[in-house]
Amino acid sequence: MDTAITKIVIVGGGTAGWLAACRIAAAAHPAAADPITVTLVESPDVPTIGVGEGTWPTMRATLERIGIGEAEFLLSCDASFKHGSRFRGWANGAPGDVYFHPFTPPVEADPRTLVAAWQAEAAGEPFADAVTPQPHVARQCLAPRQRAMPDFAGALNYGYHLDAGKLAALLQRHATEKLGVRHLRDHVIGSDRADDGTITAVRTRHNGAVAGDLFLDCSGHAALLVGDVPFIDRSDVLFNDRALAVQVPVAPDSPIAAQTDATAHAAGWIWDIGLPTRRGVGCVYSSAHMSDDEALATLAAYLGTPEPIAPRRLRFRSGHRAQFWTGNCLAIGLSAGFLEPLEASAIVTVELSLDALLDDWPTRATMPLTASRFNTLFRYRWDRIVEFLKLHYVLSRREGRYWRDHRDPASIPPRLAELLALWQHRPPLRTDLPMVDEMFPAASYHYILYGMGASPPATGPLREGALPSLAPVAQRTRSMVAALPPIRAYLEACRAARQPIAMEQFS
Amino acid sequence: MANHVLLTSEEHRTLRIDPSRGADFGDAVMSCLIVPTEFRRVQNDYPILFRLTPQRDRFQALAMFGFEPGENLFLDGTRWDARYRPLALEIQPFLIGHPATPGGDKQIHLDLDSPRVATGGEGVRVFDDVGRPTPYLETVAEQLGELDLGWQATDGFFAALNRHELLEPLTLEITLDDGTTNRLVGYHGIAEERLQQLDAAALGELQAEGHLMPVFMAVASLSNVAELIARKSRREPARG
Repeated sequence: MDTAITKIVIVGGGTAGWLAACRIAAAAHPAAADPITVTLVESPDVPTIGVGEGTWPTMRATLERIGIGEAEFLLSCDASFKHGSRFRGWANGAPGDVYFHPFTPPVEADPRTLVAAWQAEAAGEPFADAVTPQPHVARQCLAPRQRAMPDFAGALNYGYHLDAGKLAALLQRHATEKLGVRHLRDHVIGSDRADDGTITAVRTRHNGAVAGDLFLDCSGHAALLVGDVPFIDRSDVLFNDRALAVQVPVAPDSPIAAQTDATAHAAGWIWDIGLPTRRGVGCVYSSAHMSDDEALATLAAYLGTPEPIAPRRLRFRSGHRAQFWTGNCLAIGLSAGFLEPLEASAIVTVELSLDALLDDWPTRATMPLTASRFNTLFRYRWDRIVEFLKLHYVLSRREGRYWRDHRDPASIPPRLAELLALWQHRPPLRTDLPMVDEMFPAASYHYILYGMGASPPATGPLREGALPSLAPVAQRTRSMVAALPPIRAYLEACRAARQPIAMEQFS
Repeated sequence: MANHVLLTSEEHRTLRIDPSRGADFGDAVMSCLIVPTEFRRVQNDYPILFRLTPQRDRFQALAMFGFEPGENLFLDGTRWDARYRPLALEIQPFLIGHPATPGGDKQIHLDLDSPRVATGGEGVRVFDDVGRPTPYLETVAEQLGELDLGWQATDGFFAALNRHELLEPLTLEITLDDGTTNRLVGYHGIAEERLQQLDAAALGELQAEGHLMPVFMAVASLSNVAELIARKSRREPARG
């Protein structure tokens, strides 16, 4: 007889572990005959790594499904709004070399006619600026929504910048207090396996064996349960393997940057993420192309501060597991893999993994099939992320060994090389990215390709459709810039609105 | 008290107006002054009634939102449940300013004491960073222009109604679902019998001056009284 999968054990309590606990517990039917139980085992003394403080727009649906209100999330996580990414110095490093990759897709049109309309109507303007209001709104540090709108709705598509440590803490409170997740602070010292390799229980130091039907390895780089699954190294494509990270305080009333800034340097790039109380800045580099001291000097020069800085030093290797789901164990988060933080793909990969798990919840009998399908889907996704990140480098015309090495054909994945050849003659089309839920749709490729200064294709011998008008973009820009509040004012108003409630609770 | 100033792009470059609805913004009112040129849009949602000014020297047209002072049955917290809102509400906190010199252009004035003048950084901008009017101000300016023309046409409208004796006192007896009765007194409506008896010459005259359509719109608007009663009946039990 087939049995339901109901006892879920999550190993690891970082962003991935608590997101998993919340999503699964919130999706569980409380009146089921055999209800789902979620246990999260977290080592009491392993510090969590603050990966990626930028989310994708997917985080809005994730929070909504978990049942956390938007204002509560924003205030609890020191969070702010993210309109997308801004790339500085990537095309050639000359002054004025800057472009946006906004979250909102261009005006709806066939890519060929869209690019032609941009050329015909606004050739002097950057592509993203011509096809969506978002870069204009982001430059003015405005929120993507008004407070009167329903939670998680916006005038534009948006994600968040947040303090990942505070997010994990919020999710933990929500999971344990509202969703009935069992939280064990204990060390995992091993696992019990059946003859076929499936895990029957994880063994803990103080609480003994914790049995389960499905185990999620969210233990980060430690990869406590999936450590022996082969790792596929992608550093031959993505060279960056180190980062220096600092936090810089900001003035209380200063505008809050509305996009992640990614500024290219001689052998990597610098992230700059604005939160209400601080900026997170980090220098990502390739140790094969830049020494630690040079990286430190690059970061110091970017910050422009005379005082010496003492950054956190991070080492990583871009790559992922050959399989993510083996037997009854699914790796989610850093245990599944990590790619350099350009385009902030870490948290979204966690979210998508949980979407896929919950969309096709296995039974004991179907688990091998479900696992195999999951592995195929996520191998596809990791490959697409690798290619999309690589795209940023191969299109660059910057000089220097690092950038030339990135353009070496031997370092370019064959599928990307094929597409780049096609895109010389036509824009990226939907059929180039054929999955229903592509992580980066054709629109993202348009933003990077034309943002980096790729020449728009010349008109071919085939007839083209009517060109879309870009005039509504300018009109919507004017309306949005007038009607959207500065992010700082929005967050202050959230704080002020929450105050009376807090006082009532204590009276 | 009102504190009216001339709106200028220099003085009000960063001004933001709160477009929210709610009692805090002065929306808890039982009626609003309207002009004949908007009767067609008003009659989609609201009954149109007429009333003498407190000085009893002339008539005014009103869109009715409730049956007693302070009662707005279209206002539900921060939501205004109707397709259209009268111009005189939509233009707040702006006003038509009369020119400093006779014959000069009319100006836009701003009531600085209005709760709609936002202070926290939220709300809709009136000018952009370089001082150009925003789409919001463009809309308000259009509405102010329409309202100004409407006021100018109002005297002629009521003069024609008086000339043809088309206004008559109207008492509305309102019986709610729970059996209680309210009475709206002191209002006037269109005298429908007189209207039906007008001859071709009179109708032609009204039509030529543009008054005929607003007259019929006012007649048609009275079908909204039943809907207004239904709104009040729905709300009453909640108060119980």
